[in-house]
Amino acid sequence: MRIPLSWLTSMVDVDLPLDALVERLSAAGLEVEGVTRPGEGVRGVATARVLHHEPHPDADSLRLVDITGPGGVGEVRVVCGAANFEVGDVVLHAAVGAEIPGLKLAARTIRGQVSAGMLASARELGLGDDHAGLLVLDADVGLGLPLEELVPVGEPVIEIAVQPDRGDLLSIRGVARDLAAVLDTQVRTELAPVASAPASSGVSVTLETDAVGAFVAWTLEDVRVRRSPLWLRTRLAQCGVRSIDSVVDVTNYVMLELGQPLHAFDLDRVAGEALKVRDAAGGEVLRTLDGIDRTLVAGDVVIDDDAGPASLAGVMGGERTEVHAGTKRILLEGAVWDPAAIRRTSRRLGLVSEASTRFERRVDPAGAEEAVARAAHLLADTADAQVVAATNVGRDMGAWLVRNEVVADAARIRALLALDLDTDAQAALLRRSGSRVQEDGDRLTVVPPSWRGDLERPADLAEEVARLHGFEHIPAELPPLVLRGGRTPAQQVELRLREAVLAAGFDEVVTRPFVGERTLLGVHPSDARVQLANPLAKDAAAMRPGLLDGLLTTLRRNRGQGRAGMAIMEFGRIHRPVDDVLGSELDTLLGPAWRWEGPDAQPLPLQPRALGVAAFGARMGPGWLDEEDGWGVTDVIAAFDEVARRAGAGALERRPVQREGWHPGRTVALSLEGVEIGIAGQLHPHEADHWDLPDPVVAGELLIEALQHRAATLEDVELRAPVLVRHPAVVVDVAVVAPEALETARIMQAVRDAAGPLLDELWWFDEFRGAQLPAQHRSLAFRLRLQDAGRQLNDQDAEAVLKAVEVAVGAIGAALRA
Amino acid sequence: MDISEVDALRVAALGAFASAVDAASLEQARVDHLGRRSPLAEAQKQLGGFDDDERRRVGALLNGLKNDITAAFEQRHQDLASLELAATLESQRLDLTGPARRVRPGRPHLLTQVEQEIVDVFVGMGFGVAEGPEVEAGRFNFDLLNIPADHPARGTMDTIYVDEGADVVLRTHTSPVQVRTMLAQQPPIAVVCPGRVYRADAVDATHSPVFTQVEGLLVAEGVTMAHLRGTLLAFARALFGDDREVRLRPSFFPFTEPSAEVDVSFESASGWLEILGSGMVDPAVLAGCGIDPERYTGFAFGIGVERVAMLRHGVSDIRDLYDADARFLAAF
Repeated sequence: MRIPLSWLTSMVDVDLPLDALVERLSAAGLEVEGVTRPGEGVRGVATARVLHHEPHPDADSLRLVDITGPGGVGEVRVVCGAANFEVGDVVLHAAVGAEIPGLKLAARTIRGQVSAGMLASARELGLGDDHAGLLVLDADVGLGLPLEELVPVGEPVIEIAVQPDRGDLLSIRGVARDLAAVLDTQVRTELAPVASAPASSGVSVTLETDAVGAFVAWTLEDVRVRRSPLWLRTRLAQCGVRSIDSVVDVTNYVMLELGQPLHAFDLDRVAGEALKVRDAAGGEVLRTLDGIDRTLVAGDVVIDDDAGPASLAGVMGGERTEVHAGTKRILLEGAVWDPAAIRRTSRRLGLVSEASTRFERRVDPAGAEEAVARAAHLLADTADAQVVAATNVGRDMGAWLVRNEVVADAARIRALLALDLDTDAQAALLRRSGSRVQEDGDRLTVVPPSWRGDLERPADLAEEVARLHGFEHIPAELPPLVLRGGRTPAQQVELRLREAVLAAGFDEVVTRPFVGERTLLGVHPSDARVQLANPLAKDAAAMRPGLLDGLLTTLRRNRGQGRAGMAIMEFGRIHRPVDDVLGSELDTLLGPAWRWEGPDAQPLPLQPRALGVAAFGARMGPGWLDEEDGWGVTDVIAAFDEVARRAGAGALERRPVQREGWHPGRTVALSLEGVEIGIAGQLHPHEADHWDLPDPVVAGELLIEALQHRAATLEDVELRAPVLVRHPAVVVDVAVVAPEALETARIMQAVRDAAGPLLDELWWFDEFRGAQLPAQHRSLAFRLRLQDAGRQLNDQDAEAVLKAVEVAVGAIGAALRA
Repeated sequence: MDISEVDALRVAALGAFASAVDAASLEQARVDHLGRRSPLAEAQKQLGGFDDDERRRVGALLNGLKNDITAAFEQRHQDLASLELAATLESQRLDLTGPARRVRPGRPHLLTQVEQEIVDVFVGMGFGVAEGPEVEAGRFNFDLLNIPADHPARGTMDTIYVDEGADVVLRTHTSPVQVRTMLAQQPPIAVVCPGRVYRADAVDATHSPVFTQVEGLLVAEGVTMAHLRGTLLAFARALFGDDREVRLRPSFFPFTEPSAEVDVSFESASGWLEILGSGMVDPAVLAGCGIDPERYTGFAFGIGVERVAMLRHGVSDIRDLYDADARFLAAF
């Protein structure tokens, strides 16, 4: 809502500099979004009459115009590109030396003709958007008058953001009234002169819907539609409303002034001169003022004449009954509509008008007749209109209109606000808002004014008391909390896991969790998606089923920036339909407690927390990169192993898998107690290529929900200190020759089992292939550290372990290397 | 043998040691001057032929000579060892002004850091931390928060739906976590709810369809607006500095009454920047969640993590937070 300062101060006395006024408005909840000064910088622009004009001899689109000179005396010639004026019109002349926003005028020669300044359009003066023609004034305006003496050009216009519950602030009077309450001063309500209602009743109006509260329709005759006077156009321009003609402009002016939207019908176009207000049936078509055919649905409210729908109630008038240049009789309508009905129609049609904005935030149910009378008064002046008849139909108040008195406990309000305001003080504040207040001890009985739809409950009164007293008086105190707060075990686990992945060298990223049709799937691949009903883009039509899409997109973007390598990770929720395979698998591990439900046990899509990692290219740090040392799949596995250890889950089982998009020989599924909770591997070269990334690209995904849940619920994840043996250790190295197909994990398990309780630690340290070995074999080297808690070990002990290892690896098809 | 001969031997030995440049030449000099066939050794062998007085005199001279040149040898030996070690160390010189080439740990994302920092402030005051689903029931996201079915915020212009018929949405704030918390327990309740939230906004420099909130809720007997202000003042000072003040301005939210926008003092044109929305929990919200509004009162607030991060760290484009350019990640 834009508030021209002089309009506001015509209704309320403001003894504050502009900055202080802006501050007070904001502090009272009338948030000031900005202050503009339309037309600021206009100097030396004055009225002049057109005396004569002729075509420019060398330019078809230009005219040579002779106008009256300074003070209306003499004659000067200007070159002009507009054609919307005639001899005798009064226009605005920016003489040589004058200034308009962005321009200081000098005598100029245009196509060989000297122009003494220029004739100005509304836009050039900051008085509207119209730049097609000159700003033409009424013929009776004096000549040689500076523009700033005619209208408050360049004055401050304060733009206020109006909260959705304060429809009463969508008018100058509403803001004036609230400002008066804030400043504890009086508002001049009798300011606007109104026409008196005629005795004779006008057109017949029947109300057949609950969505209307009042319907006022005055008949005006002898109308002469014309251009609006400058003051009216200036006010509309300051408020950002386009000038149409003197009838429409007056309805808009009164709407801005009083907050009540009005509509003018051309009465001669109203079939049967009778109106019926009703709920629309589905399927009817109404062409609105903007020339668009609107198909109505049940729930819309229409105003019919005998020919059918003539206006879309509260949203926009109909084209068929529109006021036009030749209109002679008008029907001036002011009505009060149910906010919910108007909101529904406006939303459905995507049609937001100045009227619908006000109706859906509730207009003053008592204000319709006053607004119509006010407009009638102004139309007498601007359109020669004479009021001849009036119809004023009311309805039994619908539920949305009823205003109950509000009973509040002043002691509770005092306590809630922590403000030392006694009952009298609270009552005085509420009276400033226009409420009628009765006091009985701490009991306040309040009847809010008709325009304040937001004051319905004691909590609303508490806010009004605090607002008018000033939120700045509320003290600051810490609450006396005696609760054990803090993070849940699951949240603490996630913090630990994040540290583990960071330590492995992966930078954390946060990506937008939407995917398109094609995506690379990780853990528990499935085609099922949580689709969005109204996605923002085609490539963001579903919630991510896994984390890899966002990570690979991020790698691609960075690769595009010429980066030689990168390793990233993300923690976040992934989304699958409620019956997805991932759900039943996690259920076997965790039971159903990890699933989310809506009200009444309505199942919501699966959204477990997950960790994703991805990397490509060279390892890099600040100022260096190592082309020889790239990120590999073991980096992913090492990171996930550490994550599992940190979560107290021990080692995850690894099982080679073949999955779409993944390298057939370099991908493992990761399981906890036999349930797949992760995947780690290298992308298939075709998949890497799809992401514009150089092979190899490695990635992985882990359902940390499983780890968090276990850590939070299992009692046995308590960490125990190991017994540290002090006797010297014996170190033994062995080399095992094994067929390629024999997995390292099996060999190490065999060594571990064979070494028995003496084995303190076992390390893999080398792998070798060569001609010395049988074909399709490799040699793996391990170091065993042997210790016994009770004694020092000797060579015989080492021999015995070696012997046992030899037997054990032999049993799985391998041999110790001589 | 007289003193001059002894001195000549001393001069010769010391000169030989001094001119030895490495371990080998020093060893040669040692053999020459201290070895079994050295002039010194030869002279000592002849001592037996002297009478007692002479033997005593010359013996003393030769012992002195031997001590002197042995000491000189050892000194030279030490000096040469030091020089050699110094040369070895010099050959091991590394240029340590270059980059330190080791895999560095990754960095937590700025949003995570700021979110956890905010959470820590409230955890320090005794708040718990609650989480909830991002795909949420409309009843929890809207109805129980006083946002009725025809409210504009529920339109597809503002809210991303998963299923319009079943009223399942991408949560538009973390307030449904507050609802879930109130439905699950009676006061006293003090929780903060961090998490991702969604709005139907196209991506540009100042809008993102996904962003991060930390909302807070305190419900107990005797909770006042002063407690709200005090809590948020503590938050503002923890995040922005001890010299900060907060300003409450009347506002409107469906789920709080009174409602307040909260500004934090900043070096800006007006001296204030809007940081968060807050208010006293609307009695209808408490009642809807099964909490007696006659007995309990509460406050709630919602902090935009992106906004705090952007203000505090000079991030001018919200896309930078979600595009994860390596240069951006390395800055925090």
